[in-house]
Amino acid sequence: MPSDEESKKPPRRDFLGLAVGGTAAALAVAVVYPLERFVQPPSRPSSGPTTIGKVEDFALGTAKTVLVDEHPILVIRTADGEFRAFSALCSHLQCIVGYSPERNRIECPCHQGVYSIDGQNLSGPPPRPLDEYAVSINEGAVIVSVAG
Amino acid sequence: MKASWLADRIGWRQISEQLAEHRVPRRGYVFYLGGITLYLFLVQVATGILLMLYYQPDPQAAFASVQRIAGGDVPYGHLVRNVHAWSSDLFVLALLTHLFLVLVRRTFRAPHELSWISGILSLVLGVGLAFTGAVLPWSENAYADAMVGSGLARNVPLVGGWLMRFMRGGPDIGAGTLGHAFGFHVAALPAALTMLIALHLFLLSRKPAAQPEANVPSIPLYPDFLVRQGVAFTGLTVVIMTLGTFVERPLGVVADPAAPPIGARPPWYFLPFHQIIRAAPKELLGVDGARFIASAVCLLGLVALALPFIDQRGSKITAWLAWGLLLILLLLSASALT
Repeated sequence: MPSDEESKKPPRRDFLGLAVGGTAAALAVAVVYPLERFVQPPSRPSSGPTTIGKVEDFALGTAKTVLVDEHPILVIRTADGEFRAFSALCSHLQCIVGYSPERNRIECPCHQGVYSIDGQNLSGPPPRPLDEYAVSINEGAVIVSVAG
Repeated sequence: MKASWLADRIGWRQISEQLAEHRVPRRGYVFYLGGITLYLFLVQVATGILLMLYYQPDPQAAFASVQRIAGGDVPYGHLVRNVHAWSSDLFVLALLTHLFLVLVRRTFRAPHELSWISGILSLVLGVGLAFTGAVLPWSENAYADAMVGSGLARNVPLVGGWLMRFMRGGPDIGAGTLGHAFGFHVAALPAALTMLIALHLFLLSRKPAAQPEANVPSIPLYPDFLVRQGVAFTGLTVVIMTLGTFVERPLGVVADPAAPPIGARPPWYFLPFHQIIRAAPKELLGVDGARFIASAVCLLGLVALALPFIDQRGSKITAWLAWGLLLILLLLSASALT
């Protein structure tokens, strides 16, 4: 007959089950965490101010989409010569937007979103204006500050 | 060497006797569809391995490599690519139909909960396979799919940002996206799907779905059912080869990350969601429209997973809801095409 103290101890099988389960869980965490970190791409430092061309590359009343570190940026030169730069990713589902010179507005072809040339969302599903970036001119070079 | 020698070595007699002990309903369309889905998956694996011999997962080279395959540079490349593309579409269609039939026949209920869950997870992986495969040609359509797919994923509650970066292989669509899509399309997803299918078949062998009741005419699994299934595979092969030979799968134009994807259109199985996204207001119940839709889709997925526990008896209401859902999805698809 086992004593009272012995009967209170968990049976050996329970202990083994707990030990095996605990080891398996620890191993799973040890494998899954680095795996998750590995498949997640490392973050990229901001590219900062980037020269995207010369002033004469942009005709008055036109727009051009340029890539800065794979990020598409819509650069508009208005009829009065002002430069505006926006993220070319629609604020709805990140489809690439384009400038329509006929209607003088920015349009997203995926879900018919419409923005003004100031980047303000006018109609369609976009919930927010386009992200805007600072543009500066230095010795004829057009510089976009993506971080800004 | 006689066939009986091989049969003796692999113990075919015992195998066939064991198979003959199992019985399936004479009109067991769900079983046939399950087999057809598996067959289409195997066709994709076989043609996918062939395509890998020439495909280059690099944004500068991907489109040209697919053009080489489809354009005649690679002998029968056109046929292999078309068969891969058609079997992919038919695979998603067969998977959806298979699940739909299980739903309306209410055979998801106990003791088949795990079979149902493995089926739903297979659908998720199957759609993941189709999505990553659609990205690989790096065409205008592929680029738009990657953009919108990851953009919608960004709106998934709690893990949206993580999921978007994961799908893009970085903050933006580019080389990382193609690398991730390629790795998951050719290795991770097929491996995971193979394991799920194996689990699904194992569960079915332990708890045969829709065990023929006394008043339902049934046939032995072998030879009757498997021979009929073989006939179905043969017919399906003829259909796929005919489609692959005579019905084009246009590649479109190369992706231009600086140009709006004006001619892009989502795959047919995403058309209902495309239409909802296009028509939804900016805000729904005070929540961003896209976030609301992504949350609703996730909730629907969770309800589907938990269905055998929510509807333990397999009520007829579930079947009617399934028919209603199908009708809505078809109407949305039709309106997306107009």
